[in-house]
Amino acid sequence: MKKVIALAGNPNVGKTTLFNALTGLRQHVGNWPGVTVEKKEGIMKYKGREFLVVDLPGTYSLTAHSVDELIARNFILNGNADVIVDVVDSSCLMRNLFLTMEILEMGVKNIVIALNKIDLAEKKGITFNFKKMEKVLGIPVVPTNAKDGTGIEDLKRKIVAVADGRITVNPVVPVYDDIIEREISHISEILKETALAERYNLRWLAIKLLTRDEEVIKLVLSHLGHEKMDEILHHIGELEEHYKKSLDIIIANQKYEFIDNLIHQFVTHFAEQKETLTDQLDRILTHPVYGMLSLLAIFYFLFKFVFTVGTPLQESLDSFFGVLGDNIGRYIVNDTLRGLIVDGIIGGVGSVLSFFPLVFLLFVAMSLLEDSGYMARAAVVMERIMRKFNLPGKSFIPMVLAFGCNVPAVMATRALDDERDRILTMIINPLVPCSARMVVITFLAGVFFERHKALVAISIYAISLGLALISALILSRFVIKGEESPFIIELPDYLIPSWKSVVIHSWERSKEFLKKAGTVILAGAVAIWYLSNYPQPVGTGLSYAEIIGRALEPVTKLMGLDWKAAVSLIFGIIAKENVIATYGVIYGIGGNEEALGVLMRQAMSPLQAFVLSLVTTLYLPCIATIAAIRAEGGTKWALVASLYNLILATVIGILVYHLGLFIMG
Amino acid sequence: MATIEEVLELIKSGYTNPKEIARVMGISVEEVSGIIKILESLGYIEKVKLGSSVCNRCPMKKICSGSCIHFKGQIYQISEKNSSNSSKTT
Repeated sequence: MKKVIALAGNPNVGKTTLFNALTGLRQHVGNWPGVTVEKKEGIMKYKGREFLVVDLPGTYSLTAHSVDELIARNFILNGNADVIVDVVDSSCLMRNLFLTMEILEMGVKNIVIALNKIDLAEKKGITFNFKKMEKVLGIPVVPTNAKDGTGIEDLKRKIVAVADGRITVNPVVPVYDDIIEREISHISEILKETALAERYNLRWLAIKLLTRDEEVIKLVLSHLGHEKMDEILHHIGELEEHYKKSLDIIIANQKYEFIDNLIHQFVTHFAEQKETLTDQLDRILTHPVYGMLSLLAIFYFLFKFVFTVGTPLQESLDSFFGVLGDNIGRYIVNDTLRGLIVDGIIGGVGSVLSFFPLVFLLFVAMSLLEDSGYMARAAVVMERIMRKFNLPGKSFIPMVLAFGCNVPAVMATRALDDERDRILTMIINPLVPCSARMVVITFLAGVFFERHKALVAISIYAISLGLALISALILSRFVIKGEESPFIIELPDYLIPSWKSVVIHSWERSKEFLKKAGTVILAGAVAIWYLSNYPQPVGTGLSYAEIIGRALEPVTKLMGLDWKAAVSLIFGIIAKENVIATYGVIYGIGGNEEALGVLMRQAMSPLQAFVLSLVTTLYLPCIATIAAIRAEGGTKWALVASLYNLILATVIGILVYHLGLFIMG
Repeated sequence: MATIEEVLELIKSGYTNPKEIARVMGISVEEVSGIIKILESLGYIEKVKLGSSVCNRCPMKKICSGSCIHFKGQIYQISEKNSSNSSKTT
């Protein structure tokens, strides 16, 4: 029967590369029994002998918190391996040796350390005294670089020697403070009387009981009975009272300090803390003040890029749909059918499709920011601001997601444990402009503002976010009070994005936009066309659209907006892009050679366009978002969120319009 | 206070960036990252699932404009285990 070699280690330490180096192509992939965790096995050949190599799941410790940890732990614990190869990343010793100590505490004697990525450690300036390391740890250590095969033959030799019992292994185990050591001895004494003593390392069982490991508690309970088990747990409770916290963190701390002391005996030179390019960039981009300024500047240039490159294309497409409608219209004899196809479909959907170049470029810019790693920095800057406005820490996650779409953002509020925090986040979430509103903002800014398009777009964002923060401050202080919920963000290194991935990613997103134009926006355009032409055509004052629009006009008039804006806002509730589609249909853009932008510029001032843009961003969330709020928070809060947004948009719209009139004299 | 516990306390006190924690503690960012992983395996912090996992459950998935934010980097939040732990101190 083949001897079994188990590879254990942290994730991303080069375990798989080492597995490949040991086994070559002699591999088999399956699942661990009862779970969908991948199990890799392979055959290692050495001097005519064959060994079965098993790749254990990568873990950081051997607690019972995850399936991976349980699989690795039980494999070692049940003595399934003749040799355990602990793969250690030599450039990150502390956390790697934490797992090593957990393995050694199990009483393992058949172990070899593969000190992998030794080239990386050298690059970082870390040097080892390998002999001393073996002596201090009491186990064989082989420096390896699995990528180029360095040390693999030596590792094989050591593995076989341990498997054959030709190397004496005497592993070190962590030593804790007197109180914990006394308790370990006490529990071990109790367990000595049971059958567990024959199968398990009693010190390990005692340590796991102290950390209240559920699997071990169950195991010991079945051998000790309730009375003795309760006695042990009561004792552990007293110790926790003494330390004022759970013993698992106390033990982890002491283990960590123990490792630190060991490392100082065999690492002869530690890595120098050099400032990398990522560090230098982060000093500016995550700085409380410069970070915010950088964020504004980056988004300003993002819009600038989109407008500069996209506007000529958008204008051409806009004119194209005008000409297309005009030409198709000539061949359709039936008036109703011509109206539906030319004014409804080409006018409505065409006007939305005309800004496809802007949408694609926006997605390109967003993908560049995401792939470069900047978005994570933007989140750090945003989070810092949100915290100042009393937004519960975890709320920032849904708030960041809302820049993409408010629906998953509202669903992400599930991560918030406190009910009041969830409600607060759901109410203010629709104030964050999603990508659909970004499209409307981009279109209106592009059409109405010749020189300062990017600045206008940024200012709409700034006002909406400012209102979201002020709303959070007011609601959290006077209406919904929640507790702080801390978190930490690990930032990725900056990367130069691959153009291929950026283009593919942007195209995937843009394709979905086209799909939306062919479904929701198309249905909206047909409905708008019907309401604009029945019972009488638009312009007569008798179409349904005009009747509805004029009924709302007294309110929209206060914001400087006419009945057309009122109708467009109603259809915008279905999907925000319908705000533009509505104008396309009402102006009959499909049957009009003039581009929509030109017609809108004739009918509206830049101030009115700014107000329309702002009100579109702030008023009622789209129907999908309202449904999501209802599903997550109930009908009451869906109504509250809708009303709050509607009232806020109306008040702000009126204020901005009159302020604008005042400034312009 | 020992290292692992100190990192946990700094996260609880509002530090959100491992670089800031590394600076405060005078250790390397790699070491802070390592401790974060250990804290996760001990169950004191947990990964926050973002982006695709939320989008996959989204009822709008079929018609949305594929606009979920792809957030590189990893967010960890304090887990419930901490509240049971903090009750031991009271």
